[in-house]
Amino acid sequence: MSRRPRPRRAPLRVRGLSVWLIALLVAFVATVQIRSQAEVERSLVGVDATSLAFLIDDLHSANDTLASEKADLTRLRASLQSGQTGAADQALTDEAQRLRAIEGLVPVQGPGVVMQIDARGLTALDLEDALNNFMAAHAEAIDVNDHRVVTGVAVEQTSEGVTVGGAVVAAPWTISVIGDSARLAQVAELMSQQLRADRRVRTATYRTATDIVISSVLSEKPFVYAIPS
Amino acid sequence: MSRLAGVGVVAVVALLVGFILADQVRSQLLTPSNQVARYQALVRSVQDLEASNAGSRRQIADLRAQIDALESDAAARSATTQALRSQVSDLRAHAGLVAMHGPGVEVLLRNGVPGANSGGGTGYLVNFQDVQDVVNLLFAQGAEAVAVNGRRITPLSSFSGSEGQIVIDQGPPVTSPVKLDAIGDRNRMVAALDDPSALPGVRARQVQFQLHLTFEGLPDVSLPAYDSSLQIPNVAAS
Repeated sequence: MSRRPRPRRAPLRVRGLSVWLIALLVAFVATVQIRSQAEVERSLVGVDATSLAFLIDDLHSANDTLASEKADLTRLRASLQSGQTGAADQALTDEAQRLRAIEGLVPVQGPGVVMQIDARGLTALDLEDALNNFMAAHAEAIDVNDHRVVTGVAVEQTSEGVTVGGAVVAAPWTISVIGDSARLAQVAELMSQQLRADRRVRTATYRTATDIVISSVLSEKPFVYAIPS
Repeated sequence: MSRLAGVGVVAVVALLVGFILADQVRSQLLTPSNQVARYQALVRSVQDLEASNAGSRRQIADLRAQIDALESDAAARSATTQALRSQVSDLRAHAGLVAMHGPGVEVLLRNGVPGANSGGGTGYLVNFQDVQDVVNLLFAQGAEAVAVNGRRITPLSSFSGSEGQIVIDQGPPVTSPVKLDAIGDRNRMVAALDDPSALPGVRARQVQFQLHLTFEGLPDVSLPAYDSSLQIPNVAAS
């Protein structure tokens, strides 16, 4: 009786290899899947959706402001390129006037808010924060108790109290701010609410005005160390 | 032959099991996947807006350079224009519109580590008030020009942000590490930064969260020009 030949079994080594190959494939696919997801998560570490939404809002607003600046500069460049008589003189005169206002070198006027804070024990940090809040709301000129303030004017705590640009500013503080009065009023309202909840504060009020006059000015300081590049 | 087919089937089945397993693990590790998709969409929006922001600031810098060149040409033809241009150059320098260099200091602020008892707070992160305080201290010590991560501070600059994000003017937010450069009397600025009573908020968190504050005086610090908007539409000379 002839026996049917037994089918040849694959050698043991080949079978082992197949199993390893399959295991490797499974592990690879699983790792790729999990890692790709982990990378997405890692890029978002520390930033929640609300913060991202605020960030998007801020960036939209910033980009609008930059677009407006670009449009102004493009117009100015076109005017200078036209070669019109006096175009450069007019542009330079306008810019000088604007920069003097920005640097606090000339009296200015415009719409805005006037805030009054009567308190005992408020520190330089409190005033610094209040001024920064207004600056963040696009304040264009600020005065505290008849002292002009721009970023770069030091607000310090001394033994005599809070100083602005080296001059003591005693309570009550009257902060006059020129800018977009609606936007400034929002900030003033929030600050008033917070200040009223502070035990050190007796009163914190504000009013909007269509024409605030800021007469205080800063004196121009020549550079001693800084050199134009 | 049929044996080979069997192995193939097993491989395909294993592959499918791998996919299903990975997908299961993924959906359990990550809370609702559509939430991740929303995050991704928000992040993409931020990245697009930041790219647009950087592009606009580059264009503004280019436009200012072109305008300066045109004014320079005009000044070469007129003494009046030359005098005006000289005045404006000085004003631009003080407003931060001109790149500057000189002796000064470099200050580095870096996030600390979350404390065991911080209760999920963000005290270990460098925040905008820290940057504002250092900038104010540098100006109080006579700094003539300051920049934060290459963003020049102007008379209208402001600081805002949340949870370790620092927004300065119209730029995109900066995060730790934050490098502040200032030109001025470096000995005076270093002494003030070294004063243990200065920057109380930062110093307290240095102890609590190992917030990082280092500084050094340098013989030559270079600061770029401001590259954003300096508009004051509501102000008129009185």
